[in-house]
Amino acid sequence: MSSAGGVFIVTLVTLTLIKSTPIIYAALGGVISERAGIVNIGLEGMMAGGAFTAVVFAGMTGSPIVGLLAGIGAGALLGFVLGFAATVFKVDQIVAGTGINLVAVGGAAFALMLLYNQPGASPQVNALGSSYWILVAVAFVCALLLHAVLYYTPWGLRVRACGENPRAVHDAGLHPLRLRLYAVIISGALAGLGGAFLSIGEVNIYSDGMTAGRGFIALAAVIFGRWTPWGATGAAIFFGFFEALQYVLQGRIAWLPSDAMQAIPYVAALFAIAGLVGKVRAPAADGIPY
Amino acid sequence: MSMLRRVLGGPVGAILFAFFLAACAMLVAGVSPADGFQALFIGSLGGKQQIAETLVQTTALLFPALGISLAFRAGLFNIGAEGQLVVGGLAAGAIGAHFVAATPLAIFVLLACGFIGGGVWGAIAGWLRAQFNANEIISTLMLNFIALAVANYLVSGPLKSSAAAGAETAPLPTSSWLPLLIPDTRLSIGLIIAIIAAFVLRWVFTRTVFGYELRAAGEAPEAARRNGVNMPRMTFLALTLSGAIAGLGGATLVTGVLHRFNTQLSPGYGYTAIAVALVGDLNPLWVCVAAFGFGILEAGGLAMQALADVPKDAIHVIEGLIILVLAARRYIATRAEGAPI
Amino acid sequence: METTPCVVQDLLLSLRGICKTFPGVRAVDGVDLDLYSHEIHALVGENGAGKSTLANIAFGAIKFDEGTLDTGGNVVGLVHQHFELVGRLTVWQNVMLGREPRRGWRIDAAAARKRVADLAHRYGLEIDPDAFVDELPVGVQQRVELLRELEREPAVLLLDEPTAALAPAEIDSFFKTITSLAQNGTAIMIVTHKLQEVISYSKRVSVMRHGKIAGRFETAQTSVDEIARAMVGGDLPKVAQRESVVKVPCFRIEGVSAGSGSTAISDVSFHVDAGEIVGIAGVEGNGQTTLADAIAQMIPHSGTISLADAGLRTAIIPQDRHREGLVLGWSITDNVILGRQQLPETRRGVMIDRRAAREDAQAIVKSLDVRAASLDVAVKTLSGGNQQKIVVGRALLGNPQFVLAYQPTRGIDVGAAALVQSRLIEARNAGAAVLLISFELDEILALADRVLVMYRGQIAGSFAGDQIDRGRIGRLMAGSSS
Repeated sequence: MSSAGGVFIVTLVTLTLIKSTPIIYAALGGVISERAGIVNIGLEGMMAGGAFTAVVFAGMTGSPIVGLLAGIGAGALLGFVLGFAATVFKVDQIVAGTGINLVAVGGAAFALMLLYNQPGASPQVNALGSSYWILVAVAFVCALLLHAVLYYTPWGLRVRACGENPRAVHDAGLHPLRLRLYAVIISGALAGLGGAFLSIGEVNIYSDGMTAGRGFIALAAVIFGRWTPWGATGAAIFFGFFEALQYVLQGRIAWLPSDAMQAIPYVAALFAIAGLVGKVRAPAADGIPY
Repeated sequence: MSMLRRVLGGPVGAILFAFFLAACAMLVAGVSPADGFQALFIGSLGGKQQIAETLVQTTALLFPALGISLAFRAGLFNIGAEGQLVVGGLAAGAIGAHFVAATPLAIFVLLACGFIGGGVWGAIAGWLRAQFNANEIISTLMLNFIALAVANYLVSGPLKSSAAAGAETAPLPTSSWLPLLIPDTRLSIGLIIAIIAAFVLRWVFTRTVFGYELRAAGEAPEAARRNGVNMPRMTFLALTLSGAIAGLGGATLVTGVLHRFNTQLSPGYGYTAIAVALVGDLNPLWVCVAAFGFGILEAGGLAMQALADVPKDAIHVIEGLIILVLAARRYIATRAEGAPI
Repeated sequence: METTPCVVQDLLLSLRGICKTFPGVRAVDGVDLDLYSHEIHALVGENGAGKSTLANIAFGAIKFDEGTLDTGGNVVGLVHQHFELVGRLTVWQNVMLGREPRRGWRIDAAAARKRVADLAHRYGLEIDPDAFVDELPVGVQQRVELLRELEREPAVLLLDEPTAALAPAEIDSFFKTITSLAQNGTAIMIVTHKLQEVISYSKRVSVMRHGKIAGRFETAQTSVDEIARAMVGGDLPKVAQRESVVKVPCFRIEGVSAGSGSTAISDVSFHVDAGEIVGIAGVEGNGQTTLADAIAQMIPHSGTISLADAGLRTAIIPQDRHREGLVLGWSITDNVILGRQQLPETRRGVMIDRRAAREDAQAIVKSLDVRAASLDVAVKTLSGGNQQKIVVGRALLGNPQFVLAYQPTRGIDVGAAALVQSRLIEARNAGAAVLLISFELDEILALADRVLVMYRGQIAGSFAGDQIDRGRIGRLMAGSSS
């Protein structure tokens, strides 16, 4: 019994780490863009774009590393589109993010038909295999890096100022729009990396709806984590835990059907933002075009 | 020249531009754009059945788009129309299949069920926002996933029809079907209800005290709060009503088109409706026009796939591009007026 | 203040024939202006005369349509009227933003702190480099804003309404700093509408009116009256006279405590009778906003706030018309409805009575001389003065018996201010109880029958009739009890 319990716990912890990783990447992306003052509703689409592109390039070249880099690049490109729309065109960020999601998710499905002539899922590709564990560790390194950049470097100070009062940044002789644009590109790259982890890390295909709202969960993690890298990482692990729990519990509890259990991470996110957000403040200029 | 520029700078220009991009995508896909668009338009407007189908899609998009317009006007980003629509449809389908006697009143009861079901789903987000200041973008999104999980569970478990092969409720008795608007098609009078709803919404926005307070809350929350608008109450009401309208749409889909509930009820109408609402500038009557335009895309998309071998997901790409281009256009228009930004 | 005559003054910044048009407005229309080292140059004018635009043009923040700007390569600094600081960063982070000293990849925080402390010391601006800006009083935030510009060692320093938010004592120390800067060779231009400061501290005055220079004076050879006439293009508007009114109890607050932190109020009690104006004097940040919010029922409070009769009509003129008073994108008519949408006279059943609202709007536009193309233009296109007239006119519709006016003439031109003040006095004469909260002591002294002084969240003193004494009030405002 105790060994079964031990196995259960090991499985749960392992699965929590795996399920948390893509959310951590996307949430870190959310942190940097929101600290710069841009709400990134498009995280979901950037994850999907990253996941899909990673599979395509891994399939084409046979190298999962190239796939991974391509996934990051795709996310960054979508980040650039959002950033460009939000800064140069001053498009409402929620609107632009929604557009990005439609384009990326729809585009992936479209390209799936074009490239592989099969709907729903890509063929299997050469994936990262067991080395995906490195990416789990890298997620934490990214959190550390982002923390260092935001709080200790001139660029980080400027980005944070940008999210609070872009006019002050402008008065200091800097370019708030450029800073915001860079931040969103990095945001997209991180989300793309998270997406690539989903497709060529955890598994070896892309399938429609594979991101399953993780981009939005990551947004919840940003808020839940109070817009800090470590906070968002913690929140992402919290959500990852519930996702893992859902898998681990499947079939173990007879009265709780698996369909209902799929709701667990989302219900957890709902409780999280309801119970713990009230007192924290978003960056003052978050979501406000400059 | 300036006339041409005005036209191209308007929504028409944005749509043309999106189609241009779509044409490029078709070329990439190795399909002649002429064939693709021909399939798109023949599939959506080429005959009675096609037009009816386009209007079915228009109806399905119009309800959630109106609900979204109401919430957005109140400054609340309700991204949860999809879930609200599903819950509304579920409420109508479940009650219609099991509890409603075959009377002419049944149809009203079922529409009310959808209205209330969607309203409850919206109210959860409204309550969380009003009471705990929980970000409604996140909560409504989470509620979408929860709605789908709950609906999946119910139709494959407790509410599953023993007669049906797939996961769905038992069919509604014919007495509680919405009457057809065009015989021998799938188009019911749901379209009329939706258009009436649009006019009512317009009246609420422009003429009523409630609509006035709602718009004030959206445009200048602090000024509204200080001038007699009960903001928590307004937040709650706006998200509840927004959900209710989307839920009513779910009920019209169940009573008018599917005549039962299953989770294929919506192929993402609630998400596409965000685009519809934005393209319609959150103005109920323009939203009707936008819903028709998107109805063409949705109905034509299937034909495009069948006839020209263009995946129908291309439609979502076009929709996303229209959103981006239109939003950018608004900036260009204000810039042209020289408004300091 | 006189600069030493033997100093050689250099021309540091020169504007020639500057024109700038915003949509519908010729903001600056052919202006020539020279700024010399070692002197304070005052640029005065009514709100909307184009002063701020000109300052921003000189700074290089606004592109102009015609003319030439010659800075001769000198560094120009501009301190904004509305502080552009990052509240959740510290003082040194704000000051050094964009010019952060580095050590490797990191910001050298120690060097930055030292630089800020040194600057503060050099210019006599006392400040804690590690304080968070949003926790500082307004007067200290001003120092941060000033330090940020001084850090760049500007040869020309432009100050846009620098004393708008400062207390009398803070204003004195501010000008001490500025004067010593000028003596050390900086060319300084102050944009202001406070003529007393102009007379006391500047060497030269340029008056702007409708985008043009309407007068140039050597300060030593002019007077407040002459400058004022040049500003308004004629004689100053008259403010209505107070008449004697029978006083009956109307509004009372008793033992009210509210808020938290430095702006909390504790155990505040006073009353306002019908037919009097009670002025709350005090430096900004001593709890006035908390008091106003408590009266407006915007925040919870202990103690009682009551009207003599619960049925009495109340009206509030909020401090921040943009954020709290108006929906900027809406028409004049729709803004006139705001706050009154629940009243029987503006609604018919569930509907808004727009015809009645139009008539109200028409009446306000007429009686307060609101300059607008039509009732349907968005209020964001109107000048601050015209916007405030709408807020005030709306508040006084239906003759409220209690009026709370919080900074009713903030940032508006002399003519509009006189009109607004007259309306408040007329409301008082007609038997309304008026509570006036203002940071401008002159305004309080001109309007109030009784003056209460607010200091650190408490009523520090009360003066009525003949006992109203500027000196004593000023000392109480600064916290001295004697």
